[in-house]
Amino acid sequence: MDTLVANESEQPDDSHAKPNVSNAQLETFSYDDSIVRLFSIATIAWALVATVVGVIVALLLVMPTLGTGLPWLSFGRLRPLHTNAAIFAFAGNAIFAAVYYSTQRLCKARMWSDTLSQIHFWGWQLIIVLAAITLPLGYSQGREYAELEWPIDILIAIIWLFVFGGNFMMTLIKRRERHMYVALWFYIATIVTVAVLHVFNNLVIPAGLLKGYSVYAGVQDAFMQWWYGHNAVAFFLTTPFLGLMYYFLPKAAERPVFSYRLSIIHFWSLVFIYIWAGPHHLHYTALPEWASTLGMLFSVMLWMPSWGGMINGLLTLRGAWHKVAADPVLKFFVVGVTFYGMATFEGPMLSIKSVNALSHYTDWTIAHVHAGALGWNGFMAFGMLYWLLPRIFQAKVWSEKLVSLHFWIGTIGILLYIIPIYAAGLMQGLMWRAMDETGNLSYPDFIETVQSIVPLWWLRVIGGLFYVAGIVMLVINALMTWMGRPATYDVPVYTAPRLTPEYQDDPASTTSPLDDVPVLDLAKKLDTFGKMGWHRRWERLPVMFTVLTTLAVVIATLFELIPTFLIRSNVPTIATVEPYTPLELAGRHLYVSEGCYNCHSQMIRPIVSETKRYGEYSKPGEFIYDRPFQWGSRRIGPDLAREGGRQSSYWHWEHFKNPEDMSPGSVMPSYEHLLEKDLNFDEIAPHVRAAAYLGAQYSDEDLNDTSAVAYRQAERIAAEIVSQGGPPLTFEKQAVALIAYLQRVGIDLFRTPEPAAEPAAAEPAVEAGASDSQTPAPDQDQSE
Amino acid sequence: MSETPKTEHVYDGIEEYDNPLPGWWKWLFIVSIIFCPFYWMFYHGGASGRSVEDIYNVALAENTRLQFAEIGELKLDEPTILRFMAKPSWLKVGESVFRSNCVSCHGRAGEGKVGPNLTDDEYKNVTHLADIASVINNGAGNGAMPKWSNRLVVNEIVLVAAYVATLRGTHAEGGRPPEGRAIAPWPDPIAEPELPPEDPPKNQLTESP
Repeated sequence: MDTLVANESEQPDDSHAKPNVSNAQLETFSYDDSIVRLFSIATIAWALVATVVGVIVALLLVMPTLGTGLPWLSFGRLRPLHTNAAIFAFAGNAIFAAVYYSTQRLCKARMWSDTLSQIHFWGWQLIIVLAAITLPLGYSQGREYAELEWPIDILIAIIWLFVFGGNFMMTLIKRRERHMYVALWFYIATIVTVAVLHVFNNLVIPAGLLKGYSVYAGVQDAFMQWWYGHNAVAFFLTTPFLGLMYYFLPKAAERPVFSYRLSIIHFWSLVFIYIWAGPHHLHYTALPEWASTLGMLFSVMLWMPSWGGMINGLLTLRGAWHKVAADPVLKFFVVGVTFYGMATFEGPMLSIKSVNALSHYTDWTIAHVHAGALGWNGFMAFGMLYWLLPRIFQAKVWSEKLVSLHFWIGTIGILLYIIPIYAAGLMQGLMWRAMDETGNLSYPDFIETVQSIVPLWWLRVIGGLFYVAGIVMLVINALMTWMGRPATYDVPVYTAPRLTPEYQDDPASTTSPLDDVPVLDLAKKLDTFGKMGWHRRWERLPVMFTVLTTLAVVIATLFELIPTFLIRSNVPTIATVEPYTPLELAGRHLYVSEGCYNCHSQMIRPIVSETKRYGEYSKPGEFIYDRPFQWGSRRIGPDLAREGGRQSSYWHWEHFKNPEDMSPGSVMPSYEHLLEKDLNFDEIAPHVRAAAYLGAQYSDEDLNDTSAVAYRQAERIAAEIVSQGGPPLTFEKQAVALIAYLQRVGIDLFRTPEPAAEPAAAEPAVEAGASDSQTPAPDQDQSE
Repeated sequence: MSETPKTEHVYDGIEEYDNPLPGWWKWLFIVSIIFCPFYWMFYHGGASGRSVEDIYNVALAENTRLQFAEIGELKLDEPTILRFMAKPSWLKVGESVFRSNCVSCHGRAGEGKVGPNLTDDEYKNVTHLADIASVINNGAGNGAMPKWSNRLVVNEIVLVAAYVATLRGTHAEGGRPPEGRAIAPWPDPIAEPELPPEDPPKNQLTESP
């Protein structure tokens, strides 16, 4: 610990003594590369799993009957598995491999604790396996990239922050290199911010071992989720990969990094600005408009800070382009960084509200994230792995040709994926908003817009297969290289002096060439400031650097978060909006479990083509009991925000049985298992108690006799189904709960606030047919 | 390149140049920052008519005018429906409403799925022409037919009712068997020549809703 004290209490002005190497104690050490080997192997294995699941979900869209009879093989459940595997398993392990390899070398120190490294590795793999089991079984929080339930979330927090973060921080403190290189800054930002995001987005009230209810509701839940979701992209898929780039790209190119000053400016601006940009995922939604504008403006400002990384990467290759032509590792890096540049231009563009009005809910977003994930994250990871393979396995790469082939087939795969999906996004977006000269929708039938992009979805499957083929080559090459490893790995021993407490600043950074020139003192000070000597000092102080990074992230967050939670006018109350009944709550739980939000939005934006198609636009006050919010981000199927009462209950029953029968051309899979499985009425109570604990008003009967209350509503719906021509005896089936929920979605807004004498108010579908049948009054909202 | 000053930093063999920030990068960054307060002031500076809601309301009013200024506010009665059954261009509007909202139960040609066949001569809840409109408006069959009064405006209900009425007797293929009872044919259409499409003068539109 004395090194820590020494580092942190260092005061450059105190001493004029030169650092004296001969006085310093020389220490010998070696690097732990076995942990790098483990993480590299895991990266390769999970790359294959994540992309194969990707191909499966892509196939499920073009062949919806593929998974019939296998509930765990449905798009809604597997899509979260695909995204989680790609982000947390593939990209996650790649980050850890990069961090463990580079940090030790940049610090001239072995990882602080080999035991913690091992716990990190096995703990993380356990988390991934738990995810791979729970997600297909339908255990989900229903929020994108944060689907894992609370026990797994706790495990993630412990492994990430205390095991990984603690080990990393202690290594920094015990380092033998005086200054921290830019890669380490990015790792620090990653560890700190992901921990903050993860913890605050996953605060839930448990309702059983594998179900939690978000402490946030509706608009606020949406805000928190996309603060998290956007910054998961920023601090899990961007900053650590920039750190990776800053180490492995100049190592592979053997060229100096283009600009130290650019590193500083783009690091701090990136960290500070990124955290604000989340609300751009919620343009035109019920999120308050000021938050949406803030999200857009910070996204626009983010453009150059993001490009700073690209410039520093690409310009580092100046004078080394002949190497790029020959070295597939550099080829991977160049294409990776280029995709980063494309994606970070497109991001700000998509955040512009008028562009977003077209792109949101379409495949455009899907193409955008795959340009980033396959191009930037994938190719940077592959470049790193091919550079690492001969070093960690201490054998020549088995086949250089295969590396080149992987590069080319991977590149073609990305293009074959993204180009058709960009086209699909644009096309469907334009079809949704197209109006003819009479002011009516040109494509009123939603399925028509889906069918027109199905051929493009097929092309995506082919592109995906190309990309997977590349990964198979990586698997083979890594396996064969590993087979050629030596009997025992050579572990070189290094020596370096331990850091001395006193350190003299480089005089060049505190003096200015203007010192002898007759200019204003201010000019001299500015010139000195521009040399970034002040930052050089921070680079010696890992704890202070971490604190400053944390402050940058937390302060920016609080600026946006506090008003969102405190300003009451953000969510105007609607008197007629009431809590879900116990049965509806059970149905909503099924909606979340089945992952319906992966294909259906519940958020109608105030855009004419949209309100004509789906009905009155969504209001903030409608969502105060929605935990989690289910606004969705992609409309593979139509919006469901006004689904209540739009179809008969019997229609829903038949539609779940086989959507194709009701809507020819539908790509929705059959949910026949919901018609067959019984609902466990006794398990509804914890859900109601959690909702009540979080502020929803329930009667004593709802709380104490939950199953009976739910049973009565199920019987009413079952009777309704029979009277509408459907089968008898449906009241115990899960589908009835889901139908109860769907019949409730979006109808409270139109309920007339009647004197509370009528107990039938909680019975929307029946009421819809019976009440005010004499007054064919036009709806006040649509006829304005 | 050889003139570029290097910093003295070396980390595991990685060196760093001391290049300044690229000018275009710096200036684009500054411009993107300066842009923000102006954008904010424009949309959130208190000027009216610039919020998403205001813009939507204007667009909605414009759309309503475009659709219905020519016909005004219709009544849900038999003569009105009958009148529009004879106007092909307005029936197309009705068809558009039908395709947005009705096909999932009644089928794309009106042949019937879980909802009854609309292309035969038998009806469950309709005796007179105006009954179509009231079934649409209020629903029927204990919610089997949802009520549409808070989803569609009256004009849309009239036009979709007129469209549905014209489906009668088309006997679409593969339809549901007849349900209910056969009813008397619709009254004779009201002969009223459709106006040429050049009529809606723009200035007349400005005073509606």
